[in-house]
Amino acid sequence: MSDNKHKWARKVGFGFGPNELLPTDVESWNNSQLTSNFKSVGMAKRYSDVEIWPQEYNFSFEDRLRRAGEYNEGKKEIENSKKLTSVEKKKRVRTLRDQTDVALFDVYKFWNSAIYGDDMVKQRLTHFWTNHFTVGGGGRRNYIIGDFIYRVIYGNLNASFDELLYKVTTHVGMLDYLDNAESVGERSESARWARRNGKTQGLNDNLARELLELHSVSPERMYTEDDIRNSAKILAGWGANTDSVIRKFYRERRRDNPAIGSLGKFIYEPYFKDRAEPGRKIVLDNKFRSGKKSLRQLTDMLANDDFTARHLSKKLAIHFIGESVNQSEIDFIYNVWKDSKGNLEEIHKEVLNVTARSKERKFLWPSTWMFQAIRFSGSSFLPGFEDGNASFYKAVPSKLNYEPKKILEELGNSFWESRQPDGYSERKDDWVSTEHFDRRIKVASRIYSFQPDRQGEEIAELLDFSDNTKIAIDKASNMRDKFIVALCSPDFMEV
Amino acid sequence: MLTRRHFLSGTGAGLFLSGYPVHGFTKNAIKGRIVVVLLEGGMDGLLAVPPIGDDNLFKQRRALVASNPLKLNPLFGIHPNFKNFSSMLLNDEASIIHATSFPYVGRSHFEGQNVLQGGMLTPFSIKTGWLGRAMDIAKTAGKAMSLETPLIIRGANDLDNFYPARIKHSRLPSSETLRLIQSTHLNNAAKVIGKLTKNSMKMGVVSQARDPLSLAAEAGRAMREKDGPRVAVVKIPQFDDHSEIGTDTGHHPELFTLVDRTFGKLKSELKEEWKNTIVLTMTEFGRTVKENGSAGTDHGYGSVGLLAGGLINRSSVVANWPGLSNKDLYEKRDLYATIDYRSICAACLEAAFGLDHDVISERVFLDKTIPRTYGHIFG
Repeated sequence: MSDNKHKWARKVGFGFGPNELLPTDVESWNNSQLTSNFKSVGMAKRYSDVEIWPQEYNFSFEDRLRRAGEYNEGKKEIENSKKLTSVEKKKRVRTLRDQTDVALFDVYKFWNSAIYGDDMVKQRLTHFWTNHFTVGGGGRRNYIIGDFIYRVIYGNLNASFDELLYKVTTHVGMLDYLDNAESVGERSESARWARRNGKTQGLNDNLARELLELHSVSPERMYTEDDIRNSAKILAGWGANTDSVIRKFYRERRRDNPAIGSLGKFIYEPYFKDRAEPGRKIVLDNKFRSGKKSLRQLTDMLANDDFTARHLSKKLAIHFIGESVNQSEIDFIYNVWKDSKGNLEEIHKEVLNVTARSKERKFLWPSTWMFQAIRFSGSSFLPGFEDGNASFYKAVPSKLNYEPKKILEELGNSFWESRQPDGYSERKDDWVSTEHFDRRIKVASRIYSFQPDRQGEEIAELLDFSDNTKIAIDKASNMRDKFIVALCSPDFMEV
Repeated sequence: MLTRRHFLSGTGAGLFLSGYPVHGFTKNAIKGRIVVVLLEGGMDGLLAVPPIGDDNLFKQRRALVASNPLKLNPLFGIHPNFKNFSSMLLNDEASIIHATSFPYVGRSHFEGQNVLQGGMLTPFSIKTGWLGRAMDIAKTAGKAMSLETPLIIRGANDLDNFYPARIKHSRLPSSETLRLIQSTHLNNAAKVIGKLTKNSMKMGVVSQARDPLSLAAEAGRAMREKDGPRVAVVKIPQFDDHSEIGTDTGHHPELFTLVDRTFGKLKSELKEEWKNTIVLTMTEFGRTVKENGSAGTDHGYGSVGLLAGGLINRSSVVANWPGLSNKDLYEKRDLYATIDYRSICAACLEAAFGLDHDVISERVFLDKTIPRTYGHIFG
């Protein structure tokens, strides 16, 4: 283990800020990081104290759908209005958007947790798994991505991998993002009805393909097109697109429908029997009966496949240790995966163990780098959550602060952006370009504008920077530039 | 899988002997320019360039054939949204390659994109791209119109990006400070900061827009400069339409318009240099011949490649049409690729950089068996 606790906390977390006490015993800190129950924290204003994250900004799934519905319906009303001019319409729609937005708070929570949270290892693991199970953002899905991150991913970090895989696969966001909501069994009731009416309905294999390729066994498993097709048949019937979930939820709510109970099922287990494919299916030589339960059997089988253990042990190792991690280090994680039957708590513990022993360096994602830069330096760059949605406080909506959301986008590393399902790369080459470095340098400069407690030279000292980098910092002509050189050196970009 | 119907094997490849001299180009002063337009997600080639002379098209797809394609020849039509591209075809400055693909049949976006950019048959087996390797041999510079440097041009010595930042209240420090940052880095990272330092000292106002069309325009502007890059890569994402892809209108047709306007924009911004340019599209795979149940198409194999630029002298649709009846399809579902698109890329490199075909096949694609198709496109 690196005896530098500052370095260690950056490897598996976000580093210790100037006001944080270093743990006396790293091993017990590691354990408590994985097992303790933490409270989310946040700040109301940029210079206020850190406190418990307000309950009203922890949106339940229902809250999210309600707000999305309010936006949808309200927008329709505004746009259909005959009294308003088009400029007024635009303005009102923008105000409404600000009043109903959820993603902005999720992004604030995401930042606050990384910069001020006690649970930095859990946060890093959450980032890893959220990326592994990419749900692309944009549009209405942004109302529910926070639910995916906090309820499904964070909430299951200590579960078994099969539990996580099933919950991820059946989340409305995933079912919508990878088009499963559009997939209909060809021999289902719904498809037969469509055929009688001169329409076609059929399978869409997008989610099935990524479930095998990205989420579990990987192409190394050498599955066939039939395996994908049969997985798609098992998945048929699952999902409704986000817009229609929002619409249905909102209408039922408005009617005060007593059948709200069935709505819960519709939201949390969106399965529609009339679109499901009847009959037996075979995937990777395993037989599956028809019915809702077959999906859990499928995800369990995939989760417990040896290739899944191999694929994910390697991915975890690359994420935390570095891309030139050696096979024996991967094997330690793999062995624990097998022995524990995919118990994530055990696996994560081993990831920490192997990372502690390794000498490899990891090139950090831009978002991880930025959160570390803010936390470690003690800069007050993050505006508080009250600044997030000013209209809540009846202030002028133009004060709304979208910067935290935008900066993640600028860094090319936001979970609220539309992107490909393979998620953000673990490879340094993918993050080195003139434009990427342009942003790093500009963000470093911006962070400096908010009075960091630790200056460039102190950062270099605490983190054992190379002599070469220390010389460069020394040569920089002012404090700001020293800070920028420190943060944009390989000694801080890698750990 | 490609050997079965390889389009040039035994059909006159001998006509184009390796080492065929390319007029006017020397290694020291490359005049040619290459723009690669990456169509991410897998473009439906049968919707873009429908083989309207093949009756099986209408049997296989009920909805996904444009109602009024522009007829190109007895077999092929083109989606009406390709307006600029159609007039380029009429002007003998564009060509179409159909039933083509990189030799990759796995139907995974990520493997496919890696094969297409890396240029190797095995995904994730190389850290440089085919275009980058060719640029390295030709000693020429390139610019990616994206935040990251895509794999396709990695391996070249002189690389730049363009994707303007929108970070408020912040600007780059002095070039002295940038050089200090550079001094802490090694290899590629150091190179990249060097480039950034150079860029930061340039005067003038550049466009801040980041949509594909504005980026294409910026690429054209940069490339027409005497010392500008000879290569640009423009990305058009979101072709992965599994549902409701649209026929005459809709998402895929809108993307066709965007691709088409990209061609138009490149031509208008490259100005005089258009005559030395070849623009080619690339997509990781085509889509299934039949539509799926949600009026979309799933991942497939063969697709279409669109080429345009002044380096083309005579327009043509190059294809060895495999047919669309069930027995003609790859695994009973996909359009066969009968032309290895690597051979088309090789021809473009030959035309633009004046590199010898053998050099390209051996040192760029690391595969001597790639046939020379130069004469079919640039002859």
